Amino acid sequence: MNPTLAHVLERSDIRRGDAFAVAPAPTLATGFARLDAELPGGGWPRGALTELLTEHGGISGIGELGLLLPALAALTAAGQTVVLIAPPYCAHAPAWAAAGIRLDCLRLVFPRRPRDALWAGVEALRCGGVAATLLWLDALFRAQLPANSLRRLHVAAGEGGGGAFCFRPARLAAEASPAPLRLQLDGAGQCLRVRLLKRRGPPARQDILLDVTRPAGFLQSVSHAVAGAVLPDTTDTRRRNRVAA
Amino acid sequence: MREDLAAMDITAQLAVASTPLAALWLARAGSSEANEAICPDLPATRAALASVPLAALELPPPLARRVEGFGLRRIGDVLALPRASLGARLGNPFVIDLARALGEMVDPQPWFVFPERFEQGLELPAPVAAAPVLLFAARRLVAALAGWLAARNAAVRGIECLIDHGHGRTTAVPLAFSAPVYAAARIERVLKERLDVLALSAPALVLRLCVQAAEPREDRSHAMFDGAGQRHEALADLMDRLAARLGPQAVQGLACHADHRPELASRASPGQPALKAPATSLPPRPLWLVDPPEALRESHGRPQRAGPLALVAGPERIESGWWDGLDARRDYFIAVDSEHRWLWIFRDPRPPCGWFLHGWFA
Repeated sequence: MNPTLAHVLERSDIRRGDAFAVAPAPTLATGFARLDAELPGGGWPRGALTELLTEHGGISGIGELGLLLPALAALTAAGQTVVLIAPPYCAHAPAWAAAGIRLDCLRLVFPRRPRDALWAGVEALRCGGVAATLLWLDALFRAQLPANSLRRLHVAAGEGGGGAFCFRPARLAAEASPAPLRLQLDGAGQCLRVRLLKRRGPPARQDILLDVTRPAGFLQSVSHAVAGAVLPDTTDTRRRNRVAA
Repeated sequence: MREDLAAMDITAQLAVASTPLAALWLARAGSSEANEAICPDLPATRAALASVPLAALELPPPLARRVEGFGLRRIGDVLALPRASLGARLGNPFVIDLARALGEMVDPQPWFVFPERFEQGLELPAPVAAAPVLLFAARRLVAALAGWLAARNAAVRGIECLIDHGHGRTTAVPLAFSAPVYAAARIERVLKERLDVLALSAPALVLRLCVQAAEPREDRSHAMFDGAGQRHEALADLMDRLAARLGPQAVQGLACHADHRPELASRASPGQPALKAPATSLPPRPLWLVDPPEALRESHGRPQRAGPLALVAGPERIESGWWDGLDARRDYFIAVDSEHRWLWIFRDPRPPCGWFLHGWFA
């Protein structure tokens, strides 16, 4: 190689298209080794916006939160605070606790107006005391999030330095976004399929299948059997499963 | 000191002398910052006092008239007279005051006791119709409050901000803090959020800040490099501002509650939730709970939601609550729909039977 070119390539502000950024920002381990290997810096970015796109307007039951739970559990175990902005449903405390989240480190914010939601999101991201912020803004904005809001969130995340996870509808996958990391999530039976739409580094070649925690074993045969015919006979199992009041 | 006073819009005349009384008289005699009296020792004090007019002593009127009758104008004139005859003619208290000012007698002072409650008002120069504009005036009161708190080494959890519209109408704006605060900047930030969303019913004439109860300040020692204390403070500040702007109900914690009915097993906890050991023996529970449960169609004896649902696990019978009127008897199943979404559904065996969606395993 030309020595001048080699010299240029050593500079920290030069990145080759086929490699991850040289000095990646600090990250949070995702808890999934296969995903860590595909993310620049080996984990969820801190101080930068991450977009998680799913069907049904970012409010889905495919295990999209299961993807974040290991990282959130590690944060709260260290006594760091996680803030949820405009969560789509009521959070069920026993389930969050069972996932390893320290409930006293969890804060939920329920803004009523879209403007307040964006303000609360920006303030939470900007706050150095919040380790991770999860946002569900599109439902409040009726899927018309102003064009510059993502940039505002991204800049605020840069100031605060925490993780910033924005759940958004999958139909926005083709739109431009200031978020340096964008993932599209789909259910795939027992697994969760993760497609890396955008990352700081070479384009991902293939989707990643991750074993997120599932509430029960899902067997293809069972689903077919059920899809074929009848309800499991519940009368005799009832006594065994009965929960005493 | 001058800067603080200027922030509260108080004009002051300073004087420094060796005795309290002399300083008081000198301050009264001074007229501007330029002729401020600074007397570091007794001879200098004596010299400075000589030129102070007797009006600065604020003598009782009969005494003042008699002194004037003698042709005395300044303290220097009085000092020139023999002290004993002065006592005989003008009374002993006058002579004693003079001796105290000159440092010839001790002058014990009572300790200054700070007021127990803080209440301070500010009349606005003109009626103010927009609440955010009040912040500028409130700053002065907040500065006074911060001074009051600093002097008592105290902190407050709640501040009452009263906006007087005249004619006996007032608007109360209570400020609540998750942790005791004492820094003016933090109080101001929360006040700003409250005022930003406040709509005034009538123009404000007077702004008033009251503190009913202060508590001793709790100073924790900060680690030099860790920054945990700073993070804690930043978080408390954020929560206060969110609650101030969005309403106290909009910011919640989460806590487990010992109840088998899922909708009662999770509770919002305002402020610091108590950490209870969750029941670990429970079957899987969904992260999101749909409240109220969404009714599902049933066809051919199977629940439907955008296509048939495949039941993966269950049933789990939950039967509880006969004692408080929220009687529930349900058979819960974990189901997966055609788009690989994981649902928590239940069947109510009591008529009218039906399937309901109660949660998402997100």
